[in-house]
Amino acid sequence: MNRKFRDAWQNFDFWLFGAVLILSIIGITLIRSSIAGNLDLEEHPRRQTIFLGLSLVVMFVVAALDYKYWITLVQPLYLVVMVFLLFVFTAEARFGSVRWLEVGSILIQPAELAKISIILSLANFFANNYKDAGKPSTIFRSAVLVGGLVLWIFLQPNLSTTIVILVIWGAFLWITGIRIKFILIAVAIILLVLLIGLLTGFSFLADYQKDRITNFLFPDPEASYGETWNVDQALITVGTGGWFGQGYMQSTQVQLRFLKVRHTDFIFSVLSAEFGFAGASLVIALLVLVVIRCIRIAQRANDLFGALIAYGFGVLIFFQTAVNIGVNLKVLPVTGLTLPFVSYGGSSLLSLMLGIGMVESVAMRSPSKHALSEQNATGN
Amino acid sequence: MNLFPQRNKYLENWRFLVLYILIALIFGFFLFRLFDIQILQGEDFIAQADANRTTTIYDYSVRGTIYDRNGYVLAQNVPSYDVVVIPAYLPDDEGDIQRIFRELSELIDIPITTGGADEDVVRSFTPCYNDLGISEIVYIATTNWPYQATGVQCDVSKEVAMTVMEKAADWPGIEIEITPVRQYPTGSLTAEIIGFLGPIPAALEDYYVEQGFVLNRDKVGYAGVEQSLNDILSGKNGTRTIEVNVSGEEIRNLEEPIDPIPGNDVYLTIDTRLQSIAQEALLAQMDEYNFYKGYTTVNSGVVIAMIPKTGEVLALVSIPTYENNRMEKYIPGYYYEQLAADPQRPLFNQAISSELPPGSVYKMAPALGILNEGVVTPEYEINDPGLITILEKYYENDPGTPRQYVCWDRNGHGMVNFMWGVAWSCDVYWYKVGGGYEDEVPGNGLGIWRMGEYARAIGYGITTGIELPGEADGLIPDPTWKRTTLGENWSIGDTYIATMGQGYVLATPLQVVNSIATIANGGKLMNITLVNRVTEPDGTIIQELEPSWKWDITTDPVINVYEGNQATGELKTVEPWVIELANEAMRLVVTDGTAETEFAGDPYNSAGKTGTAEYCDDVAQEKDICKSGLWPAHAWYVGYAPWDNPEIAVVAFVYNGDEGSTIAGPIVRKVIDAYFEMKAADTANTP
Repeated sequence: MNRKFRDAWQNFDFWLFGAVLILSIIGITLIRSSIAGNLDLEEHPRRQTIFLGLSLVVMFVVAALDYKYWITLVQPLYLVVMVFLLFVFTAEARFGSVRWLEVGSILIQPAELAKISIILSLANFFANNYKDAGKPSTIFRSAVLVGGLVLWIFLQPNLSTTIVILVIWGAFLWITGIRIKFILIAVAIILLVLLIGLLTGFSFLADYQKDRITNFLFPDPEASYGETWNVDQALITVGTGGWFGQGYMQSTQVQLRFLKVRHTDFIFSVLSAEFGFAGASLVIALLVLVVIRCIRIAQRANDLFGALIAYGFGVLIFFQTAVNIGVNLKVLPVTGLTLPFVSYGGSSLLSLMLGIGMVESVAMRSPSKHALSEQNATGN
Repeated sequence: MNLFPQRNKYLENWRFLVLYILIALIFGFFLFRLFDIQILQGEDFIAQADANRTTTIYDYSVRGTIYDRNGYVLAQNVPSYDVVVIPAYLPDDEGDIQRIFRELSELIDIPITTGGADEDVVRSFTPCYNDLGISEIVYIATTNWPYQATGVQCDVSKEVAMTVMEKAADWPGIEIEITPVRQYPTGSLTAEIIGFLGPIPAALEDYYVEQGFVLNRDKVGYAGVEQSLNDILSGKNGTRTIEVNVSGEEIRNLEEPIDPIPGNDVYLTIDTRLQSIAQEALLAQMDEYNFYKGYTTVNSGVVIAMIPKTGEVLALVSIPTYENNRMEKYIPGYYYEQLAADPQRPLFNQAISSELPPGSVYKMAPALGILNEGVVTPEYEINDPGLITILEKYYENDPGTPRQYVCWDRNGHGMVNFMWGVAWSCDVYWYKVGGGYEDEVPGNGLGIWRMGEYARAIGYGITTGIELPGEADGLIPDPTWKRTTLGENWSIGDTYIATMGQGYVLATPLQVVNSIATIANGGKLMNITLVNRVTEPDGTIIQELEPSWKWDITTDPVINVYEGNQATGELKTVEPWVIELANEAMRLVVTDGTAETEFAGDPYNSAGKTGTAEYCDDVAQEKDICKSGLWPAHAWYVGYAPWDNPEIAVVAFVYNGDEGSTIAGPIVRKVIDAYFEMKAADTANTP
């Protein structure tokens, strides 16, 4: 056991861990810059640092545990998350929009937990139904599984998390071998929904969601404040960066607070302004590295459950990164998705680190490179 | 499947490859987009960021004060207390904010809320001049400029201002802002001279903005010297280029600030005491005449007093006028509309802008002409039978239509020479010498062309250069003008009528007094001025009146020499004896002529000329009185004293006043008398 455990740490993916750690530190640095004299934000770097410390502990503990233990936890976790979501959903009716649950002194966002739960549940589901993968009945059952959680999130309403979960589901369907035919059918259904949406005027979206989409598609040239203003200021902020940026804590757009929500949604703009094209490229490269390492770990995983866990978190990080940067570069409408590891947000950092811990756990328990080449030589 | 070596026995590698390609495409696109934004479009965005954080503030310059010649204030700046809110400094607690709103609402009588503001209200928001509640104003200010002061109520009383200032500790975010507003202590007494201020007009926005004026804040002159001397009075706003944050909070100066330059003070030539006397004399005379008539027949007139030797205007009254101190803070729409719609045109400065028939006062132009051109000698006597008939010819071989020309005194004046021609204002004398009559004055007399030369020489037909906007130049008619304007040939009768300042002749009251002042002044046509001196705020004189003249007709050759109707191109002067004789004749007007009664016992040796100018305007047309014997007439009188060394010249004009000597004469006499009494008092008071 001891020897096995030591071997396992030899398989620990230091590239992945290193990239994640550097990204988190860059994140804290940028959060410090984005205080910009706002007293409400003054405590944020410290809190993020504490969360980072906590997250690292969680990550190492989770990595040390064999991911297969999670199989037993998949269903209880799913139920707990559903209870949380129901509680938030009903609480909302009483207190207005609530996305947070206060547990002790730590705020937990059930939506973050839901993402983890979905990844684990889907990984477990597809691992168990490997032989029937790609069949319509399997797709339908997975849809029920996803729907059990996503419905409550959608009704909150929390559109961005809904989309994230649906994308994860789609990614699982894709990798487990969905037929191209079904993809085409799905595309047709989505187009139909959009058509119905257009005809009904998207009455199922909340006003602020509709505003975000209309603002993105048809910006009001006279608007001087509100959504369009934020996005335009973000674009200006990015644009001032040049090759190497204006320098740490030197961007006028950030320091004079023209850029709003700069410690979360628009932290990429802060980065681009103060560290320029070079700094932004570096962070993009690190995030791409994280995503690729996750997917590579999935490809090398010992079993399907582990592979799908690593794949699921890889897709999650990929999607959130792509959407967040897309918003910052004004190619996507504002969604509220943060930049993984970099944006301020303890709950988000903690759940992402938990995921990285699981991915590392999968990596640690994969066959070594040597073993893999042997397997390829003999197997298949 | 060999194309993608299988690493995982459950999942297909090509599906991973598609994912990798997707990642590469998306992030590749992001890098390209980042390069486009940061490197290719970088300069544009840096410029936008700089525009965000840079603001130029134009600090108020203080407008100069306007004084009269004795240092009496005619226009000054007084503080206006505005209650303003700076939303960023309001307390955090919503309850405290509501308490402040409630207390403030009671004090300044503005509702706490009017139920919210929609987009349009926000867009068209004007501080102070709106119907919003305090909450709405604060909401708008918070959204747009939380660190800037936004007016809640402007121009509150000093007591309210004091209360707000005392409450500073209890009411954080509510302050008193003191801004200068223009005040006109003399109001309607000097409104036609001083004018008033108003917002920068749309048509001149570019011009003023370029000079550093701030739209919707700074005001510029709209009338009077406030307009014409705007450049002297306004000074120059200071400029500070500062860095601001998103809330408009000032961070630092980006450039060396330029302090505002205060406007210069102006001392006018006006003597407010004389202005007051002149206005009252005119109003009293009009009241008396209306009372005598039993209905309102006159309500409009002009009095101007000036110093002939320097061209300084001592008083300039145009009735009806308006209250310029009602336009102190802003121009109230209803009042302005009322003024604009008034048929008597109170905003119109008749003293300089009205073009009127000058009547017999104009005879002094041909008077100089006939003597200087030798049409008649001063002693030559002409018969005035009270009525003459001539054949009116409009072209060379026109057989002519007989037409009668009458003297104002139908009995005639008998044999009249130059002196009595002026003193009695004998119309027939002037017809004959002006246009010729049979053998008595052979040829065409002085003729219209030469008459025009002498009229222009004493200031008719040209602006005087007074520092007031909208000065008119009048009209000296001649045959060319009549042909091009009316399409008719000139006739002898036209010349006859022109000699007595009627028909086509038009002049402003200022030109009329200036023409007589020129003769009184020995032939020097002075540049008329309202500005005695200009000083810097500390009193340093930077411009002082240096009397100047356009020309001296006795030394500067300004009279075109005519042969028939053709100017020869030669120029000549007026003989000094001609001017002396003209002055003597005007003295005779007062001692034994048309103004004898009004100036009986005149201690100041004045001279003058009466005028009764028949006219026809819309009102007269309507009453159908524009016909022989019924014509309405304006009353004119110009006087100056002492006649041989003039210190003051005064014109009085009463629209529809009928008889120059009886209506206008007494006004002039009152002003001249007051001038000398004041002078005596001043001398006695001066050690």
